[in-house]
Amino acid sequence: MNYNVIWLVFTPLIGSAIAAILYKVKFLDRIVTFSTFVITLFLVFSTHVGQSYSLNLNFMNKVLPLSWNVTHLSIFMLYISVIFGTILTFYSLIDKSKMKGFLLLLILAANNWIFTTNDMIGFFFAWELMGWASVVSVLGGRDEKASRHAALYYALMSIAGSYSMFFGIFTLWRLTGSFAISTNVAYLSSIVGVHPWWVIGIVSLFFVTFMIKAGIFPFHTWVPMAYAWAPDTFTPFLSAVMSKYGIYGMLLFLPISLMEKGVPTAFGLPWVNYIFMWIGVITAVVGTVLAFFQDDVKKLFAYSSFSNLGYIVAAIALFTPVGVTAGIYHAFNHLLFKGALFITLAAVISRTGTSKMSEMGGLWRKMPVTFFTFFVGIASAAGIPPFNGFGSKWLVYQAMIKQHLPFATVMLFLASTGAFMYLFKAFHSVFLGQRSHRYDNVKEVPVIGQIVEYFLMFAMIFFGLQPGYILRPIGAIVSSMGLKPLHVMSNGYVTGMFSNVYMPIIGWSLAVSFTFGFILFFISAKHKYVSQEDNYTAGQLPEEWNLTPETYQFSWKFYEPVESVFAPFFKVKVDGFFRGLADWTVATSSAIKEIFVSNAQMYAFFAVVGLIIFVIAGWAA
Amino acid sequence: MMSEWESLTNFFRGRSFWMLHYCTGCGAMELPPTMTSRWDMERFGIIPMATPRQADILLVTGYLSLKSLKRLIYTYEQMHAPKWVLGFGSCTINGGVYWDSYNVIEKLDKYLPVDLYIAGCMPRPEAILDAFKRLRELVEKGEAKGYEKYVKNYDWYKANQDRLFKRIKPVLQKPEEVTRSA
Amino acid sequence: MIFLKLLEGIVGIGALSIAVGLLFMGIGRKITARIHRRYGPPVLQNFIDIFKLFSKSSISHGFAFDLGLVAGVSALIAAVVFLPMGQINLFPHNSSLIMILYLMTMAYLGMAMGVSSSGNPNATIGIARALTMMMGYEVPFAAVIFSVYIFAKTGSLTNIVAAQGGGFLNWNMVRLPFGFLAAEIALQGMLGEKPFDMAIAPAEIASGPMVELGGKYLGFGMLQHAVGIYLETGIMVDLFLGGASNIWIFVVKQFELFFIALLINAILPRFKIEDGVKFMWKVPLLLGVIQALIVVL
Repeated sequence: MNYNVIWLVFTPLIGSAIAAILYKVKFLDRIVTFSTFVITLFLVFSTHVGQSYSLNLNFMNKVLPLSWNVTHLSIFMLYISVIFGTILTFYSLIDKSKMKGFLLLLILAANNWIFTTNDMIGFFFAWELMGWASVVSVLGGRDEKASRHAALYYALMSIAGSYSMFFGIFTLWRLTGSFAISTNVAYLSSIVGVHPWWVIGIVSLFFVTFMIKAGIFPFHTWVPMAYAWAPDTFTPFLSAVMSKYGIYGMLLFLPISLMEKGVPTAFGLPWVNYIFMWIGVITAVVGTVLAFFQDDVKKLFAYSSFSNLGYIVAAIALFTPVGVTAGIYHAFNHLLFKGALFITLAAVISRTGTSKMSEMGGLWRKMPVTFFTFFVGIASAAGIPPFNGFGSKWLVYQAMIKQHLPFATVMLFLASTGAFMYLFKAFHSVFLGQRSHRYDNVKEVPVIGQIVEYFLMFAMIFFGLQPGYILRPIGAIVSSMGLKPLHVMSNGYVTGMFSNVYMPIIGWSLAVSFTFGFILFFISAKHKYVSQEDNYTAGQLPEEWNLTPETYQFSWKFYEPVESVFAPFFKVKVDGFFRGLADWTVATSSAIKEIFVSNAQMYAFFAVVGLIIFVIAGWAA
Repeated sequence: MMSEWESLTNFFRGRSFWMLHYCTGCGAMELPPTMTSRWDMERFGIIPMATPRQADILLVTGYLSLKSLKRLIYTYEQMHAPKWVLGFGSCTINGGVYWDSYNVIEKLDKYLPVDLYIAGCMPRPEAILDAFKRLRELVEKGEAKGYEKYVKNYDWYKANQDRLFKRIKPVLQKPEEVTRSA
Repeated sequence: MIFLKLLEGIVGIGALSIAVGLLFMGIGRKITARIHRRYGPPVLQNFIDIFKLFSKSSISHGFAFDLGLVAGVSALIAAVVFLPMGQINLFPHNSSLIMILYLMTMAYLGMAMGVSSSGNPNATIGIARALTMMMGYEVPFAAVIFSVYIFAKTGSLTNIVAAQGGGFLNWNMVRLPFGFLAAEIALQGMLGEKPFDMAIAPAEIASGPMVELGGKYLGFGMLQHAVGIYLETGIMVDLFLGGASNIWIFVVKQFELFFIALLINAILPRFKIEDGVKFMWKVPLLLGVIQALIVVL
């Protein structure tokens, strides 16, 4: 019995109470939030694998056992989520958005609970707490009406997921009599050979929730709205940490795949895993393609977020050692680079006051640190070595090739090339090109923001050059799931199935090459710096042509030619399906409402009909 | 006297003239034959380039109205040193067939430093190739320094240019707001 | 030790790839001229051009411009170092093809950042087109690469080259013919030769990314093109033509591939972007898919 685990859950709750009292005083609110995160971080440092705690709640003569158990996966997820949260709350000390600290601390409590719990009731309670706290957090964004709409959409999807999970929890309780996760997963593993459809049904009930949370096709429609209209300092947390709750949930249930013997296979995988892998691939491609055409920069990165989650899902669906390693490693890398990107976006939006890319441009001179962090984030998201994004993408390809799945790999490669495209679009529209004169007085973020940005840049480069620090804990996770882990040779290697990639040599190669490049640059003839107005305009003087920086910046309809390439696919709208469902619900509900507002004759009619049915049912029974 | 390094550089510069593909007047009609198969100028290393940043040679092909002179000077100032101006056709020498027009300049040398004139109306491709050969000789001897002359005598050139541009009414702009950017 | 090896490698291989690339470009101009029934410049013309460019003064739009253009060449040379080229194979255990492809992307990202920071929309339009075309040719190219991976059961170029040893009939060109055809067409897009050169398009967008480059920056751009030719044809030689035992035979094989690209370039006009991408997703992708099916089944 280790109280450390319980403190992990209760410290944020206490902090949340204090922050709730202080929420009117903005600065104190943020200080309390940050301090609670730091304290929780120290608690996480003293948590080890194997610590557990159980509590029996007595409830109307029934005993409700709550239990916590720290596994390898729990420790990994706790570390990355709490460390990222600390960095984010440190950044938010200077940010002026309307994010409430007490809500974030409630989410932190739920976060710690979800990752360490071993029973489903606790899991459900924490999931709901996290869901509601995040829905309310989405409300404080820049545009009130849009925030409300986004929060409502998110809330409805969350509720649908929660119903599904609730149904699943109680079905399993009826079958096994226990709420413990490990017992239930073991039970499902034991019957999957005999009753595969039953197991698939129950697991899908859970997976609906996890897919909604992670934003997997076809439940991805809430993601762009919620990410775009949430407060700018909450979106990094939403994207980096909260989408991983879905992945964690999936990883709890996926070990069942090991027991699928005698199940019909497709291309060497059990067919359920095969379909799930394709769902991941479709998510990756859909997110990428839709991101080409966005004008709002946060929406673009929201599409990018769930596209990367598609990569993770495609990798872990294979459930091979390389696959699971690749998936968890990509989850970590995505947390790092997407968190860094959203934090830089928060900085840019707070300085310029707009989030539309067609209104920004040329900010690199005014915000150089943010510019470099964004550049490193983009290089990482595109999978360029030696930054951290490369290792996980490479492992995902290795996993899929080992399973002889070239078509899925080609689609993922398309998603990767597309990622480079939309990342460059965002990069150019925000930081490069012509700078409008209304941004002449834009300043860089304050020192605290710069410290955060330097730290994130350093982290991306460090974990790119020394991936072993992450691959070793992941190896422990993989072996705890019953698979043989990959052999990590030394800290500098990303070890795959066919070959290894030694990252530091790439770093050295680039360093030497750049040195020689700059030597050549400086020994050549001299160069002179000119302003952005002194540009090739085919001989016309800009002022005679009414040419302003706003009109000479190319950021509207950046990829217009691509629209005609993907035109046939835009006819299918998943959002349209959900709206249709909502409209049908409204129509049916209105029809049913009519029964209750009509006259007494309707009531009498229904009473008689109901009586007849009861009599017949009683007679038949 | 030129140093070794400078004469080596001039040797290479003379064999790699990149010409700005800016066809100012009717003389530009002689350029396509010069560029294509019959009188192939690429064998001397001369190719047309799209923007002034990339070009060495500004070929003023024919007459220059006041409006196009303004654009031409802006384009010339955007080119990088070392750069050379070739006056092409008699219109740049003394006004050519338009010598009595109110709208055309008579002597290009007053507004831009010209390194070489090519006489003719218009000069045939053989004359153009001969001019490029002569320019190469001038560059190798170190005598084609029009761009330095422009910088040294900028005030004189600018006075001449401004005297002309007072006569042009700009489009889309009120007269008092016209400014020249260098 | 490794650092010294890397230093010599970068200087040596950098110089080699630049020299060979510029020579190819020069020979290319001569051959194109002969197809046009004219004489064409001397074969070493591109070296003269580079010398002239680096001796010319230039303007710059800021440190992002400088850094981007230098990154364009440096990152490509850093990638070439890992390519097995005949007997020159500096890091045989680190020659994963996907790593080289992604490292190439850094060069293009750097160059794109550099030219876009000039503030000229023509440059960015050119980059947007180049990226769209990249999406076009990467899909069939990926289908072919992954077919080769599954076929050779390895992802490292050194091992793929070793698996092709033992004579002409062992080359992947012969064993995976559909893949070779698809990769040839994709190579035409990668090199930026007609009909896929819409990124440069001098008459449409004032030479695209090169619009504000002059002097040494244009020199860096030309060097990037040269090293790019070397690297891309080099990858194709390793994948399909069995590598080589000798660097000179390697260069000859590279020239063969470049020659085919040149011939097609000399006679075809340019696609529109949409048509280019759609073509890439029809014919080469079909060939690549057929190849993948043959390998998997």
